[in-house]
Amino acid sequence: MLTIIFLSGFLLSLFLMVVAKRITALVKTFALQSLFLSLYALYVAVLQRHAELLIISGLIFILKVIIIPRVILRIKRRINVEEDLGLTLNTQVSLIVALFLMYFSYLFISRIISFSSGEAMQAVAFTVSFTAVFIGLFLMIFRQKALSQVVGLLVMENGTFLAALAITGGMPFLVEIAIFFDVFIFVLIIEILVYRINRLFTHIDTTKLTTLKG
Amino acid sequence: MIEKTFLIIIQAVFLVILAPLISGIIHKLKNNLRMRKGASVFQPYYNFVKLIAKDEVISRNTSWIFRATPVIVLGSVFCVCFLLPVLHKSFFLGPLGDMLAVIFVFSLGRFFLALAALDAAGSFGGMGSSREVFIASFAEPATLVSIFVLGLNCGSLSPSAVASLEGWRFSSLLCGSALGMVALAETARIPVDNQETHLELTMVHEAMVLEYSGRSLALLELAAHIKQIIFFTILSWVFFPCPVNAVWGWAWFIIKLCIISVFVAVTEISLAKMRLFRVLDYLGFAFLIAILSAVFALIGM
Repeated sequence: MLTIIFLSGFLLSLFLMVVAKRITALVKTFALQSLFLSLYALYVAVLQRHAELLIISGLIFILKVIIIPRVILRIKRRINVEEDLGLTLNTQVSLIVALFLMYFSYLFISRIISFSSGEAMQAVAFTVSFTAVFIGLFLMIFRQKALSQVVGLLVMENGTFLAALAITGGMPFLVEIAIFFDVFIFVLIIEILVYRINRLFTHIDTTKLTTLKG
Repeated sequence: MIEKTFLIIIQAVFLVILAPLISGIIHKLKNNLRMRKGASVFQPYYNFVKLIAKDEVISRNTSWIFRATPVIVLGSVFCVCFLLPVLHKSFFLGPLGDMLAVIFVFSLGRFFLALAALDAAGSFGGMGSSREVFIASFAEPATLVSIFVLGLNCGSLSPSAVASLEGWRFSSLLCGSALGMVALAETARIPVDNQETHLELTMVHEAMVLEYSGRSLALLELAAHIKQIIFFTILSWVFFPCPVNAVWGWAWFIIKLCIISVFVAVTEISLAKMRLFRVLDYLGFAFLIAILSAVFALIGM
């Protein structure tokens, strides 16, 4: 029963990210999505009496709900960039594209798991996680500011984590910890990278990065 | 049969009496959250009593539409009260109409309100009605699709079937959130409209009723309260599905409405009002979520 709430919250926050026009809104929605993910992990952990998953849920909460959004917003403050994300597709078209991405992932998943069997909830969770991966990719491609590329990648990571959680009840503990470490280092490196890009080009607009400047 | 009719009438009166209280609670909560004291939760009742005793001023240039509108608007929402089972799942006039009738009876009221606002030929009224119709034309598709999804979920569009949803389902929660977004727009709440201001740039519903005073205004305000409680009732079926029984039905109902009011109050103080053309994005989002829930309902989730 609670699974439904967490999954629909996760899905809703995905679509909220697609319509977000400002960096702060995007990052805050990402924090909300990670909150739903960590609650879902907590729920699975309690349900399956899985102590390692409990730690992972706590780690998601600390890292993705609190630390990473703060780090990204700190970069935003430091380079003093304006709020606008730079939408290459406007919100309505983005939403329709997101709906189709969702439908494609449904078509794909329905070939693997049956939606009518007793595993219907797993199938839905799998669909949602694939949608998250696609929408993360979408955010990386169709938004101009470099910071949305960071958030897009994090959303894709959330999607893969949800898939692992839905199908097998979480990846092995060591792999999970390694991924968390990776993601955290990734965000820190990106912070420095974005800062350098901004220093060098005085903007973080990725569409303009193709022109040489010497 | 006679007993049942009597109970249905009692239920409708119960809804009408409760309606201003919910508005009062939301208003009080909003003020308290802003660290203000706020008026008493019974303020809407005091307003009603004050206004109903007053004379009204009607412009000489208006036609019968202006005078008939308050009655038509109140009549339409009051008629909806008879269509919804609130205290028990058999307490409604079944053959009269299903959930679609609820939406379209609301549209009748809105149509006359928009006409009446144009009737007095004030510039505010015209502006208000054009905005209201603009918003409604985007809110209605989202409402309709969510209602259809609710129907798909329980196999029938009859209000008693929707009222006795069993547990949460993926599609019902998604269409419930779409319906929640629409409900904020329909009840003139903050991301779309603001009930508390009379600033000409922002008002929508208030601009339409600006020409009204005295008794007519009292009727229109009561109609707005009832419309709000009806939307909240539908939301409460979706988000807090539990069997409605007659004995403690009313207590559960009030508790559910209070929870929804808290949500609405918190949303309202934490959001800023949108520009009029951003409302398109907001309601488009609600429409898309409704379509998404329809996809899930067809999968069978």
